[in-house]
Order: sequence, then C-alpha cells, then structure tokens
Amino acid sequence: MSLIQAQNVCVSYASRPILEGINLQIEEGEFVCLLGQTGCGKSTLLRLILGSEHPTGGRLLVDGQELLQPDRTRGYVPQKYSLFPDKTVLENITFGVEVSQFGLFKRFTPGFYRRRREFREEALDYLRRVGLRETDASKYPEQLSGGMQQRVAIAQALMTRPRILLMDEAFSALDPGTRREMQTLLRELWRATGTTVIFVTHNTHEALHLGTRVVVLAKDSPEQGSREMLDLQVAENCHEEEIPRLVRRLENASRSLLAEAVPAIG
Amino acid sequence: MSAGFQLIHAQPSRSWALILSWFLFVAGISAYVYTAQQRHVSNPEDRVTPTLVQMVRGMRDAVLKPAEEDEDTPEASSLVQKISASMLWKDTKATSRRFVLSLALLLPAVILGLHMGLFPFVGAFFLRFVLFFDKIVALSLLPILFIVFGIDELSKIMLIVIGVTPTIILDTFNLTRGVPKEQIVKAFSLGAGDFDVAYRVVMKQIWPRVLNSIRLNLKAVMLFLFAGEMISSTDGLAYRIGLLRRHMGMDVIIPYVLWVALLLFLVDLSMRLVNRWLHPWFKEA
Repeated sequence: MSLIQAQNVCVSYASRPILEGINLQIEEGEFVCLLGQTGCGKSTLLRLILGSEHPTGGRLLVDGQELLQPDRTRGYVPQKYSLFPDKTVLENITFGVEVSQFGLFKRFTPGFYRRRREFREEALDYLRRVGLRETDASKYPEQLSGGMQQRVAIAQALMTRPRILLMDEAFSALDPGTRREMQTLLRELWRATGTTVIFVTHNTHEALHLGTRVVVLAKDSPEQGSREMLDLQVAENCHEEEIPRLVRRLENASRSLLAEAVPAIG
Repeated sequence: MSAGFQLIHAQPSRSWALILSWFLFVAGISAYVYTAQQRHVSNPEDRVTPTLVQMVRGMRDAVLKPAEEDEDTPEASSLVQKISASMLWKDTKATSRRFVLSLALLLPAVILGLHMGLFPFVGAFFLRFVLFFDKIVALSLLPILFIVFGIDELSKIMLIVIGVTPTIILDTFNLTRGVPKEQIVKAFSLGAGDFDVAYRVVMKQIWPRVLNSIRLNLKAVMLFLFAGEMISSTDGLAYRIGLLRRHMGMDVIIPYVLWVALLLFLVDLSMRLVNRWLHPWFKEA
C-alpha cells in the first residue's frame, strides 16, 4: 500500500473550493514536487498531509491512517518562521529529540543531562552535514542569513528522522545562487536518508531539478477548486539535459489546460 | 519646496542634543527657585513653594526621624537604626510590599492569557468575559471593594488586580495569537505536545514582550495603588502625601513625589535590563 493516499480529497474555505477531487498515491522514498501557481492550493494539500488541516471531503491516509494533528512522523520546513527565534542553532536542532523523549518534568532528571550531551553531538553532526560550522551552533537564528536559516531548519527536521519531509516553498525567499546550493544539498540528503520528500514550489525549474516526480495542480476555471492536472515521472539519470524540454512541455501543458485567462507557470 | 534648512533631516551635534535635552529641567528648576524666593521675600511664612533648603530639611527629617504617629528613636541609636525607623523607610516599605504583591498577582494573568490564546476552548470560555471586565472602570469599584473586602490590605490589592489584570490578560492573549502558526505546527512536527508548545515554544517567545507590556502598565499599577492608599491606609507613600496635604507640608510632598518617580524609574530600568539579559535574541521593535 502507498505511504500517502489521497482519495477524492476536497477542501473548501467558506464554500470557496480550493481543492476538488484530488487522487494521489505517493510511495515511500519518492521525491514529489507539488507545482502550481499562487493560490492553487498546493500548500493546502501539503498542510493536509501535515495534519494541520483536514479535508472537507474525501479521505487522506498516511500509512493507512487518517490524520488528527501534526506529529513527529512528518517533518516540516516552511518558507518563513521555520526556526524558533528564542533558541540557539544547536537548541533548535536538538529541540525535537529533547521534547519527544523528555516531557515537561522529565527535564529535571539527571538522565536528561546525560542524554542531552549525546543529542548535542548528534546535532553538531547534522550541522556539519547541512554545511554549517560548529561556531554557528551558539548563534541565534536572526544572526544567520536566510539560506543558513533554511539549512538549520532542514537539519532540525531531519534530526527526528521523520518518514516524510514536507517543505513549503522552503527556498523561495533565497537568492538564485543559494537556492541552487540548497537544491543540491536537499537532493544529497534525500539520497542519503531515503526520506520521502514532498516539496511545494511555484518554480518549474526547481520542481524538475529536485523531484523524481512532479505533480501539477491547477484550476479549470476560477470558480472551481484545483485538480491534479499532470503527474510526471522525472528520470534521474537524464536530469540536466532533459530539463529545458520538460519545462517547455510542462508550460505548454499548463497553458493549454488553463486556457487564456491564466498566465503560464514558471 | 525647501526652506533652506532641514527639519526632518537635521542632525544635531552631540553637545546640542545634550543641551536641548536638559534645557527643560534646568528651566523648570530655575523658575521654581525664583518663584519660591520671590514669594518668601513678600511672605516669609509661605507654605506653598518651599525653598530648596526647606525641602532638604524636610526630607532629612523624613529620612532620619520616625513618622509622627510612631515613637521617637532614642538619641543614641546608630544611623542605620535611625533610617530603618524613619518615616520615609516605613512608607516606602509599605508601598513596595503592596506593589510587589500586585506584580506577583499579574503572573496568573499572563498564564491565563497564554492559555486563552492557544487553547480555543479556554479562549471561548474567558474571552468575552475578560473583554467586558476590561471596560469596567476599576476606581468606580473602589467603594464596592471597601464594602466587600473591608478597608484593609485586601481591597487595595484587589483594586490593582481588577484594574490591571484584564489589560495584561488581553495583551498576552494577543501576543500569543501573534506567534506564527508555522512555529506551532513545526513544534508539533518535531514531536512536541500541547503543553510543550505552550510553555517551551510560545511562552518563551512572547515572554520579553509580556515583560514590556507589564513595564508599560507599571504606571497603572501605581495609580491604583496610590488611589487605594490615599483613601484608606495607615502607611505608604501616597498615604503620607495625602496626610501632609492637610497641613500643607509641601516641603515633604514635593520630595516624596520625586522619590516615587525615581523608584518607578528604577523598577522600569531594572526590568528592562533583566529583559535584555534574559533574552539576548530579542530585538525591540
């Protein structure tokens, strides 16, 4: 059975439809990019998988279960506010393991301090893997650049070893150079950890560079909710050369689907 | 069109800024001293504008001698003994005690505001009532408080609590609501539970802002405290000011007013320093 199953999922806010009849199967280990324009509901779909919102129709199953609320099986990296401003980089990364293994009062037991030293070692290891120096560990998030912050956010999310990593426009606020670096880093981490990644973006190039699969969400008309318009497998070995052709294909496809009123994606 | 000189873009030099910022102090004090002198020339018994010498004398008595209603300290006692039995010390102690007690009672208000902002059921239960309560003019409740709680300490503390608590609750509520949703979702996705999010994520983030909001409300706390003390009390700074009014003791009233301002300034300053020391990551907006 697939890891994530969307069965005719609908969402509407105050009777305004956002998603209409989404059917999607995502297997363990896939790197899926959800692509679409602003307001097409791709972030909504992500939040459904996260569990912070619920479908108003249909069923969304993760591991065969309907979701109640976000939990540690699904990591989350948003575009903004991804780090806790009151915690240092190291505290941000260890927060997950500390909080899930030591409740509010268990923190005052001696065992906590012993384990915390191990957590810190592990966190430093993650810090190096996402390309930060140990001297950054004691900084506060706002002392870091946007790219650095997102690196820490990825380390923070991976530290609890989630089965699914959900990223919502995680690189959209970064400058192009940093963005490319982060894409390469994310591909490497995905290969190394085998985590299922779902990545929301409005950038066609980014979607094709990153994903093994690109799902395009779009509306037939403004009054309707979005459906999945295109589901494209991206072969890994033909990555670089194929991209211009695929970008064209995607943009043509969306243009013909979206009629004249809506400009092309990308 | 430019008038040939800059207003918004003006850049006063350091010495100019210094002179300007102290000017009103110097002018005010000079004007007062001049008026006092003039009045004393025409009427040596004038009690409305005591001279600086009179104020210093009045304040020395306040610092070294016990209040009228207390027994005199023996002549031979040491300076420390004299000060600790003095009127000023007695009044400051009484007022500070009530002040600290009421500040401590603001903590439950912060906790309540946090839970109202975070847990929809708690919010639904309390919000409308607190909003209503916030609109009640606390001083208008004073007679009721005196009737219900008697005229001793409890009614004064209750006045402060009723006057300031709703503001603090609503402030904390709004600050809690202002924490980005991403932060809460992120904490859950990292394995945190509801109360981890409440105390380890949200409370820690809003705490410096809550402290600032308490700092802004210090004056309200003092206002209610003084109102209570002036109307019914047997000690305290405001009680003394009210008492001295009856025999026109301006030579002590004016220094007392300045002393209260100084105390409040020091409390505010220390809270600001503690805030900065506890939350190095916090940038004031």
